[in-house]
Amino acid sequence: MAWRIGVDSGGTFTDVCLFDEQSGRVAVWKVSSTPDDPSRGIAQGVEEGVAHVGTVPAEIGYLGHGTTVGTNALIQHRGARTGLITTDGFRDLLEIGRQKRPDLYDLQADAPPPLVPRDLRLEVPERIRHDGTVETPLDEDAVRAAARALREAGVAAVAICFLYGFVRTEHEAAARRIVAEECPEAFVCTGHEIAPEFREFERISTTVVNAYLGPVMHGYIGRLGARLAGLGLRVAPHITQSNGGVIGFDRASRQAVRTVLSGPSTGVVAAQAIGGMAGIADLITFDMGGTSTDVALLRGGVCRLTNEAIVHGYPIKAPMLDIHTVGAGGGSIAYVDNGGLLKVGPRSAGAFPGPVCYDTGNTEPTVTDANLVLQTLNPTHLLGGRMAVRQDLAKAAIGHLAEQLGLTPMATAQGIVSVVTANMARAIRVISVQRGYDPRDYTLAAFGGAGPLHAARLAKELDIARILVPRHPGILCAMGLLLTDVRADFAATRLLTLADAARPAIEDVFAGLAAEAAAWFAEAAVGPAERRVQRAVDMRYAGQNYELSVPVPDGPITGSVLDGLAAGFADAHRRMYGFVAEGEPVQLVTFRIEASGLVPKAAFRPRPERAPDASAAIVGRREVWLPEADGFLSCPLYDRDRLDSGHRIAGPAIVEQMDATTVILPGMTARVEPHLNLILELT
Amino acid sequence: MSHAMEPAPRIAVDPITTEVIGSALSSITEEMGEALVRASYSTNIKERRDCSTALFNTRGDALCQAEHIPMHLGSFIGILPHILQRHAVADMRPGDVFVGNDAYEGGGTHLPDIVLAEPIFVDGAMVAWAVNTAHHADFADRGHAHIYQEGLRIPPIRLYRAGVLQTDVQELILLNCQVPRERLSDLRAQMAANRLGIERVTALCAKYGRDTVLAAGDALLDYAERKMRAGIAAFPDGTYRFSDVFDNPEIDRDLPMSCAITIAGDSMHLHFESPDQVRAGLNMVRTALLSTVYYAVKAVVDPTVLPNAGLARPLSVTAREGSVLNCAHPAAVNGRVSTCQRVVDLIFGALAQVVPERVVAACNGAVASATFVGENPQDRSIWVYLETIGGGSGARATKDGLDGVHVHMTNTSNLPVEALEIEYPLTLLRYELVDGSGGAGRQRGGMGLRRVYRAEAPCRLRLDGARLRSAPWGLEGGRPGGMGRFAFGPGVAPFQHGSGFLEAGQTVEIVTPGAGGYGPPEARDPAAVARDIAERRIDAETARGLYGAAAMGR
Repeated sequence: MAWRIGVDSGGTFTDVCLFDEQSGRVAVWKVSSTPDDPSRGIAQGVEEGVAHVGTVPAEIGYLGHGTTVGTNALIQHRGARTGLITTDGFRDLLEIGRQKRPDLYDLQADAPPPLVPRDLRLEVPERIRHDGTVETPLDEDAVRAAARALREAGVAAVAICFLYGFVRTEHEAAARRIVAEECPEAFVCTGHEIAPEFREFERISTTVVNAYLGPVMHGYIGRLGARLAGLGLRVAPHITQSNGGVIGFDRASRQAVRTVLSGPSTGVVAAQAIGGMAGIADLITFDMGGTSTDVALLRGGVCRLTNEAIVHGYPIKAPMLDIHTVGAGGGSIAYVDNGGLLKVGPRSAGAFPGPVCYDTGNTEPTVTDANLVLQTLNPTHLLGGRMAVRQDLAKAAIGHLAEQLGLTPMATAQGIVSVVTANMARAIRVISVQRGYDPRDYTLAAFGGAGPLHAARLAKELDIARILVPRHPGILCAMGLLLTDVRADFAATRLLTLADAARPAIEDVFAGLAAEAAAWFAEAAVGPAERRVQRAVDMRYAGQNYELSVPVPDGPITGSVLDGLAAGFADAHRRMYGFVAEGEPVQLVTFRIEASGLVPKAAFRPRPERAPDASAAIVGRREVWLPEADGFLSCPLYDRDRLDSGHRIAGPAIVEQMDATTVILPGMTARVEPHLNLILELT
Repeated sequence: MSHAMEPAPRIAVDPITTEVIGSALSSITEEMGEALVRASYSTNIKERRDCSTALFNTRGDALCQAEHIPMHLGSFIGILPHILQRHAVADMRPGDVFVGNDAYEGGGTHLPDIVLAEPIFVDGAMVAWAVNTAHHADFADRGHAHIYQEGLRIPPIRLYRAGVLQTDVQELILLNCQVPRERLSDLRAQMAANRLGIERVTALCAKYGRDTVLAAGDALLDYAERKMRAGIAAFPDGTYRFSDVFDNPEIDRDLPMSCAITIAGDSMHLHFESPDQVRAGLNMVRTALLSTVYYAVKAVVDPTVLPNAGLARPLSVTAREGSVLNCAHPAAVNGRVSTCQRVVDLIFGALAQVVPERVVAACNGAVASATFVGENPQDRSIWVYLETIGGGSGARATKDGLDGVHVHMTNTSNLPVEALEIEYPLTLLRYELVDGSGGAGRQRGGMGLRRVYRAEAPCRLRLDGARLRSAPWGLEGGRPGGMGRFAFGPGVAPFQHGSGFLEAGQTVEIVTPGAGGYGPPEARDPAAVARDIAERRIDAETARGLYGAAAMGR
């Protein structure tokens, strides 16, 4: 049981990263994704990857997986047909939200459509009060009638969310039981299970997103689990959550809403680890894949974690890394719009049919086709020679576009790259400039299959002086699964006043959370010695509605622990708001446990520095079209696998490896740091 | 007016630095707004976010306003000139904080919007102002014949002097408030917001240099002006007129109002006619009119223009002094925001003749509000709960209007039901879209909202709004949206001019207006009509009457 495997399945490729705990060997494998059923591609990738390193699935000790199944279903509104059962008088809450319009000034802006149409939002008589008393008992017949109506309407999922359902859970629990009886096939979830927190709209929204994605994730995970078991995998596989931590398959299908940022979060975790290795703490991650691109900002090595965010237009209460996604990547299709301007995306050729050069039927040129014509990408083979491509087809498709634009084919190809670069720059401004961070103070960490190909142009556009290209950029997300401890977060809301009398209740809440964490540790097969638990509580002055998180030490909740919490809160409040309200009562609101299991991590040992001469890694030359030269320029071609610590390369140059191609522009130099990451700098 | 300091030196700033500084200023104001919301205690701020933050240069030009409430710009543009009129810049010190709210002497647009303004000093010189306003849900259950009945009038005076709280000033203010604990906490939150702004601006100056930041600020004003002028220049020259009426529970008659918009090249002049100011709280001071014009013209000409003072340069605005839309002392102004909404209707109605595809049909045209006031039986302290309720947003040339949202001059959140019922002796029985309230049209107008409350303890209630007697109009053949109304449960004594009393257990229902449709109803896509019927946004019989047999798809 020596191998640990990370699998990242994106819109275009499925990446498999394998790590031998004993020898420290790391290997990577890449196959085309199978978007109609991603589990097929994953199983194929695992099978081939395992064979590639000469082992068998039974020898795998851990399998972690990051997926975009949930996020894609949310973006494309391809979730399950979902019904909502809620308190009488409040079916429109889901649609009204917080009654704010989507944009302050833009009269044409639209709110995202509610995930449950109005005719599938059904009300039942029941009313719980804020203190937990029942004003109107649940009308179980009405629930039954609603469940039948939803069944007849053909829903595949039912969300149940009542006012104060998290204060007193029995109405939601009873409704759940009845719905399960009437709709045995449907996926059912309740507000108190998914987001047991105050503020009904955000809780309903989170519950509805969970129901909407539940059947999609459940089906996907079921198929994947069966395929992996069929290969002979003996361990229970895990899925990454939006916070970078992992959960088991079963929990992931019940709490699909926690996986909406599963795929991209692993990339951030990986970049954090790689940046740590290379000694770079301030990073902007640029993860450009075939279909979409994710960017995030790490300051001092840390990406902001949020407990609530609006994802693709929908409020979600769940721990998430602060990641921004745009729907453009290497597979994005270029076209001329009705105003005669060149546009790229958001339509994508995806994995199938893929770019024109794949010769699988697509005739609309993509970003990849443009790179193939410019010869920044290898014009005959991709994936380290494993995949033949047709440059002539790409040229013809771009030529057709060039005619519409009245430009030369080469200028058109370069134009496609320029437009997509500008799109990426805009995405990075959202997470940097718009939040007051100057991108010029950061290093661009470029990964994903297309990141290193476009990073140099993007850095120039943003005036970023340094780029980090990890050793295995194309499979970094998969590798991230092997570079991090397994982690899960547990939270419970219980409103208490900070006073001695609250001690038993605090102990009680933390005991409940600790039990949940213990169950998770067991599920994740984390041994007792590897378990780490950190406690925290969100606090506020009575009267405020937003809290500040204060760490809680291990051990019993004594009087001095309470004193420490009071002091910690006062400090945090002064730091944040500049004042302390002496004598005002302080409330404890949400209690949190972060559980992590220390795991052996893929370790990259630094290599001794060699002489700068990298000529031994040159495997040929290629004519590359560069706007700086307004024509083709012969560039040396380096094999990434032959580059060693200390090597230096002067641009223009191309570095090829199986999972990515790095472009080094004229005026840039690249050096190989001891962990074999490439550092590109403007000279 | 004495200038606080010499204009920024004209140094050249490259476009990237300008953009970065511009974005930093905007993120500073947003961050100030978040701090204000998070540190506050009153539901109107901590959940409903009825507050705004901004940065001004020393000449009193808005550099950037956070995207909260367009109405609050009125207080911002008013207060700095008043401060500079009353106080010598030479006497100002770091840590001086000015407080003000008065509509005539303090630059405010109504008394509950209390502004805190603090000069920012870098290397001993004043470089900018951090300013914020919060709507304090107080001064409730007052008269509105003139401003002296409406609450405490505060001219711009120092609440802090060189960082030291002037407790006598604060005590005077708090004694005049009905909920002093909330006021004190919210004032502290306002302090926190400005303090954060000062910290961030100081850091920005340290990074880029004070002169670069100031020059970038000027460049951003020029940029907004250029964009605005380019947008206006694309509209055909001419004078375009529109008239409407304003109705309100406070007055029995409807007030006729009109505007004439003259476009000449890259500038725009707006002139407004309205009756003499009235003895009711619905008059607008000039700064309220200006902020309304700035909002409406920006939304139509180019919503992406930066929200700074540069966008006002191509615009000129006139209205007779002493009229409802440009009132003079001592006119009452508390409910001016509904009047402002009608001014937006006037502007859109006029511009619909030039750029019909850019405007929307009449929105709900009101800021429907409910103010509950009661006494806590234990200590006879007073509680005040204010909320404003959205409604329909007008249909657009190619899209339906938005249902149940705040429009135009306001954009506050609702209070979660679960927060409302914990904080106040009120129960919300229903909160829903109003079936049939969206004006019919090729594109349907947005739907209004219904809220039904039950009082759990005796309380006074004041209801405000508009479009209770005049429906929000449609465009290009679109039909009007539903009107607003108030309905009372069994036993409730009749309300007078929107004010009355609820005993424990009694109920009240507020229905807000929908919005007008766009284009002839017969042209509506039958599938959209069918969907509206399936979703009960309209009943089948009414739909058949409005849309005709063809649009019913059979």
